[in-house]
Amino acid sequence: MVLEATMICIDNSEWMRNGDYAPSRFEAQAEAVNLICGAKTQSNPENTVGILTMAGKGVRVLVTPTSDLGKILACMHGLEIGGEMNLASGIQVAQLALKHRQNKKQQQRIIVFCGSPIKHEKKLIEMIGKKLKKNSVALDIINFGEQDDGKIEKLEALLAAVNNNDTSHIVHVPTGSSALSDVLINTPIFTGDGEGGSGFAAAAAAAAAGGLSGFDFGVDPNLDPELALALRVSMEEERARQEAAAKKAAEEAAKQEKGEGQPSGTQDAMMTERANAATSEVDNKANDLMDDENALLQQALAMSMDDPDSGHETQDTDMSDAAADDPELALALQLSVQDGTKDSSSQSDMSKLLADQSFVSSILASLPGVDPNDPSVKNLLDSIQSQTGASGSNISSQQKNEEKEPKEDEK
Amino acid sequence: MSGDSASAIQRSQVDLVDFIDWSGVECLNQSTSHSLPNALKQGYREDDGLNLESDADEQLLIYIPFTQVIKLHSLLVKGPEEEGPKTVKLYSNKENMGFGNVNDFPPSDTAVLSPDDIKGKPIVLKYVKFQNVRSLTIFIEDNHSGSDITKVQKIALFGTTVETTDMKGLKKIEDH
Repeated sequence: MVLEATMICIDNSEWMRNGDYAPSRFEAQAEAVNLICGAKTQSNPENTVGILTMAGKGVRVLVTPTSDLGKILACMHGLEIGGEMNLASGIQVAQLALKHRQNKKQQQRIIVFCGSPIKHEKKLIEMIGKKLKKNSVALDIINFGEQDDGKIEKLEALLAAVNNNDTSHIVHVPTGSSALSDVLINTPIFTGDGEGGSGFAAAAAAAAAGGLSGFDFGVDPNLDPELALALRVSMEEERARQEAAAKKAAEEAAKQEKGEGQPSGTQDAMMTERANAATSEVDNKANDLMDDENALLQQALAMSMDDPDSGHETQDTDMSDAAADDPELALALQLSVQDGTKDSSSQSDMSKLLADQSFVSSILASLPGVDPNDPSVKNLLDSIQSQTGASGSNISSQQKNEEKEPKEDEK
Repeated sequence: MSGDSASAIQRSQVDLVDFIDWSGVECLNQSTSHSLPNALKQGYREDDGLNLESDADEQLLIYIPFTQVIKLHSLLVKGPEEEGPKTVKLYSNKENMGFGNVNDFPPSDTAVLSPDDIKGKPIVLKYVKFQNVRSLTIFIEDNHSGSDITKVQKIALFGTTVETTDMKGLKKIEDH
């Protein structure tokens, strides 16, 4: 509820065309900006937010600090990408804009989105930080996109120069499946130094129709308890149903694939309902050590009959969406999930399997497209031997993916 | 700054600390652990161990609003010999000043403190400039040693009040 005037500095440089944040860096940034504006104006109706762009022809203030959310959102349209970001000027102009805010009682804050390399010297950046601190302006830095050598160092130096009593923050958003806004929602940038955290996030999520962030189903139990309860119950029922289906498929798979129940066999069982193509490919793999495989299979079955309400299941549900498109990805995901939940004995089983040269080469020999004498395959085997202890399963998934690729090439 | 003026202070001037509106007092570039009340508030300012210190660099900008209109007669600044303030500029009735615009208008008065003054000698100001003061901004530009941190042990203001109504003293007339 702090009374605050905020200036948001947007990076609209050429680097924002990149698609490593879905759908593109620029759009992920725009969404995050909308969320921040919503959150700020919600937390205190007298808060004002302004926006400026740092790249393009030059630093340009799109809207001076105002509490009118519509005006702010409108100015985000029609923004063009181009040029290079000028961080120093951007921050200085933001500071000036804040200085001329109408309500002098508001605390001053600048939020900078930094997605491209910083061409300024570290000294200059630090001096700017000191100036901000001197004028009691807080600074939030969102580091995403391009990471070059000195960028993180410069940003950390800037934060250290500005920070006064932890009012300033820095967030590093790595590329990945979660959206920029989702990552930001849980940071102090949104939660505002620990006051009214989740209510804030839920309101912001609702306001921007962002969906499932902050609260389980995008619905605040405080606002609508019956709806939240109904959603939660139906989710539980769905999970239970999926598990029962998985268990059944596992049993059937155990009957069908007794001779081929490798470690991947358990994944086969899980995947039967999702990716039949992958199943048929994996079926072709032969193996000698039936006993170990059966033991693993039993373990997996026991696991799927276990307590349904665990994080493991949640992971399954999430991953099924991602895995539906990509069978190889699904396999890799399943293996990594198995890693987290299996006990150490099975882990060492896997490792032992891989360490067993004869076992590995027998698998390879059975694959039509792979020649065990091929030098690249031999290199791969060597690397596996050396990495067996640490991440046996991950390597096996890598190995299987690589095995599949030659096969698919053949096809 | 002669001996006469020192006695002039005792005669009619009062310590204006009672008329400071504490809700509006602000200090830019102060260090969080060593803040303005250490130098201004009664009790704290007498303790030489408690200082107001600057943070990012050696300048300080102090804004003091008053509950009444006052006439400011003199200023007392006490600080250590090395890091105590040297050049002090005073601005009367200017709200919301920042380090950027201190040089935009001339100060109502400037005081350059000698090492002698810094021990706690009152400095007489241009009384004519401070006849109608609602708020005072004190800009400490540098210190004696030139170091990055300026330390102030005590700031005291002396003057008189203009005959304005003290709103807190007003009582509601009871209906008979």
